[in-house]
Amino acid sequence: MSEAPTTQVARPIWLSRIALGIAAVYVLIYPLISSDLYYQNMYITSLVFAVAASGLNIIMGLAGYVSLGQGAFIGLGGYTIGICATRFDSVSPWVWIPLAAVVTGVVALVLGVVSLRTRGPAFVIITVAFLFLVQVIAVNWKSLTNGTAGLSLPLPTWSIDIINWPFYYALCGILALQMLLAWWIQRTKLGMGLVAIREDETKAATIGINLPVEKMLAFVASSFFVGAAGAVYGYYLTFIDPRGMFSILFSVQIVLSVLVGGRATLWGPVIGAFLIEWINEVANNDLGGGNTRLLIFGGLLVGLVLFLPTGILPTAERLLSWWRTRGKAGLVGARVETGGAFPVAKDREPVPALAPDVPLLEVKGLERRFGGIRAVDSATLAVPEGSITGLIGPNGSGKTTLFNLIDNTLRPDTGEIWFAGERIDRLHSWQRAHRGLGRTFQITRLFREMTVLENVVAPQRTFSLSQLGRIAVSGAEAERARELLDFVGMGAFAGQKASDLSFGQQKLVELAQVLMLDPRLILLDEPAGGINPVLIERMSEMIRELNRHGTSFLIVEHNMPFVLDLCDPVHVLARGRRISTGTPDEIQADPSVIDAYLGEDFLAPQESRPSRDREVI
Amino acid sequence: MEPFVQNLILGLLLGGVYALVASGLTLIFGVMRVINIAHGAFLILGAFVSYTVWNWLGFDPLLCIIATTPVIFAIGWVVYRVIVSPIRDAPMSSTVLLTFGLALVLEAVMGFIWGNNSTSVRPSYADESFTIGELFLPKAQVYGGLIAIVVLVALHLLLTRTWLGRAIRAAASNPTGAQLVGITISSVAALVFAIGIATAGAGGAIAAILYPFVPGSHYQWIARLLAIVVLGGLGSMGGAVLGAVMFGIAETMTAAYISPAWATAVPYAIVFAVLLVRPQGLLGTKLRDDAVAA
Repeated sequence: MSEAPTTQVARPIWLSRIALGIAAVYVLIYPLISSDLYYQNMYITSLVFAVAASGLNIIMGLAGYVSLGQGAFIGLGGYTIGICATRFDSVSPWVWIPLAAVVTGVVALVLGVVSLRTRGPAFVIITVAFLFLVQVIAVNWKSLTNGTAGLSLPLPTWSIDIINWPFYYALCGILALQMLLAWWIQRTKLGMGLVAIREDETKAATIGINLPVEKMLAFVASSFFVGAAGAVYGYYLTFIDPRGMFSILFSVQIVLSVLVGGRATLWGPVIGAFLIEWINEVANNDLGGGNTRLLIFGGLLVGLVLFLPTGILPTAERLLSWWRTRGKAGLVGARVETGGAFPVAKDREPVPALAPDVPLLEVKGLERRFGGIRAVDSATLAVPEGSITGLIGPNGSGKTTLFNLIDNTLRPDTGEIWFAGERIDRLHSWQRAHRGLGRTFQITRLFREMTVLENVVAPQRTFSLSQLGRIAVSGAEAERARELLDFVGMGAFAGQKASDLSFGQQKLVELAQVLMLDPRLILLDEPAGGINPVLIERMSEMIRELNRHGTSFLIVEHNMPFVLDLCDPVHVLARGRRISTGTPDEIQADPSVIDAYLGEDFLAPQESRPSRDREVI
Repeated sequence: MEPFVQNLILGLLLGGVYALVASGLTLIFGVMRVINIAHGAFLILGAFVSYTVWNWLGFDPLLCIIATTPVIFAIGWVVYRVIVSPIRDAPMSSTVLLTFGLALVLEAVMGFIWGNNSTSVRPSYADESFTIGELFLPKAQVYGGLIAIVVLVALHLLLTRTWLGRAIRAAASNPTGAQLVGITISSVAALVFAIGIATAGAGGAIAAILYPFVPGSHYQWIARLLAIVVLGGLGSMGGAVLGAVMFGIAETMTAAYISPAWATAVPYAIVFAVLLVRPQGLLGTKLRDDAVAA
């Protein structure tokens, strides 16, 4: 299973690896081959920013939370060592560096909590406010920080010949740890979850991703080593003050590093940090500093957002692979396979059967209003275990809203939802997913920037910290995902970006994605909508196949032959209420159903009652 | 009692200036979903332009608003066409970074042109005050606040009583629909951006006589303005005015009764608290986020 999918273009990895290796070795041995303090200083500063940028990349590149407060973590690390070292001058300042990392990690949790409530631009604003607030505190809390006068640390005690070496190599070590962490996160379920959060947070919750825990972990991971690097930096500078340590330009420099190098890449932020710090030095020393530096940073920010939004590394990679394939890459016209038998999960745990009178899903008196509109109005219905239950109704009757209430995309105003004998309406989306509730969307919501395979490995069946650390991009998880992709016939597309797929193909992938949850009940929102008849037939077969293996379904669909052929029982919803339930034949005969669809004036011809072979709508 | 009433009136007048500038910020957000971090920088630019006009022609500084506003309007229009419109459809975080970069560029450019020393505009009545009974109201603040309110009312009339205003509001509530009924979104967007920026320019001309300023003052202004629009609810004009008045009064009162050192933290604390407790602000509306745009 480790073989690369035939559709993926081999990336010219060796080229960049050699270049990176040479650069890394050069930086590593620089203090040994040169005693030029100017460049040593530049590399030390670059290393600090590289750690900060690589950390920021975890929340900005992977999870999509752009932060202009990242510079504050360098300052927090610096202040931790400053405050401790000036108070306890009998111990070496080095001992405070782990403490600085911990302090910074804890403060980062505050931003993590904020990220639970705000997204997008509101979050960016709050990070700026966070930075300035920390700065104001550092200025005003004089008893702790000595205010604007700043703190002077004890001078280094070692030989002047190697004065920079300990700082230099401590930072190299911290950067290595930081990059190891970033590399590891990108390969795990945690990393997949973070990218899923970036692409579509609401959807991520419905496939079992525990948003608060993932985001908290990401924020701690993004700042922990930054605090350590900031502490080393503070000791190196031996003087820290609020204006210097909490400058907004630190944050700008870090964001620029990530943008210029390439978001969500391992090396991009590090390369970016060295590049931007070099520009910073040139601007300061050769071009007069001050306003010129501002102009360059501001202009770079504008220019990058406008002209190079993906950054250097991804752009270079794309150009290189285009060059190697002469632009002929990509999978055009590959066939959707007919698929095979459903691969039952090997580690599937048998679930205790429900008591005969307990339905798998039960909705009682559920209500949801939007202003004056009751989209779902005391709806009550049940899905028996092992059934394929249909849910039909005119447009606007509340079907999708009901789905949204069941999987917690929306919260109900009143009413209860029971799943397998347990009340779930107070649970989070991911908790519902862990109990075996899966859901597809009417307009597919795949994670567009992820590959098909990554989309399918992203769901999390259960929650545990150890499972977050499981490697997702290869091994058992990826193997299971490939099996499911083969089942839905999309195996050949595993390496494609989800946004390159057609709508029908996306529906199939979304089904595979939900199956990764190994659900007991799948809510399908218009599985046959907008796809061709052959695919509809295939969809029907797969639903039956899955049902034979014990999966229950609740299906919203407007294609009547599809519903009437597949589902029993069928619920009919109108104006947010269930108006009828029965077998397909009973439903078709029910005057209230005909009335709901066609209006009071319509009289169905008595002789030719619509049969299940004809579409009535 | 009198000092309290006096502070209240001064707070209201200051709130008028804030309301004018914040309206522009929230208008831009409402129509194009761009949070213009450069708004404070445009305000300081307005202050500098006003300073130059005052120096050059010797007008009453508040009359300079007539010259300053169109200049800043034109700059706003060009800026929109050149750097904002190409990324209209980019994620909002990108436009935040873009306008932040723009703010840095403007700060640098102002530094090159006018220098980084503290600048102030002093009208002939700078040291005069109205005395009504026990109340003691500096003339500059009274005139400034009143002019801000006049401009704000004019903006309100423009948005509610004219065809352009209806087009703008249509574009804000449903861009695709507006396009279908013949509104050229790109032109409306450019106008909205320019009008929004112009409010910052007008506000800058007024602010110039109230406080000394340097290019770097834009950080304080954007912090205040963001606090105001976040408090009022992003995209809501009424919210911006309400937030501005509350903020103006709160700031005047804090400066008068509590330590001014911690007063600088107030806007940041407000941003934090509001976004955490009530992310939609006072008058903002929560949209139905389950409805999928097909």
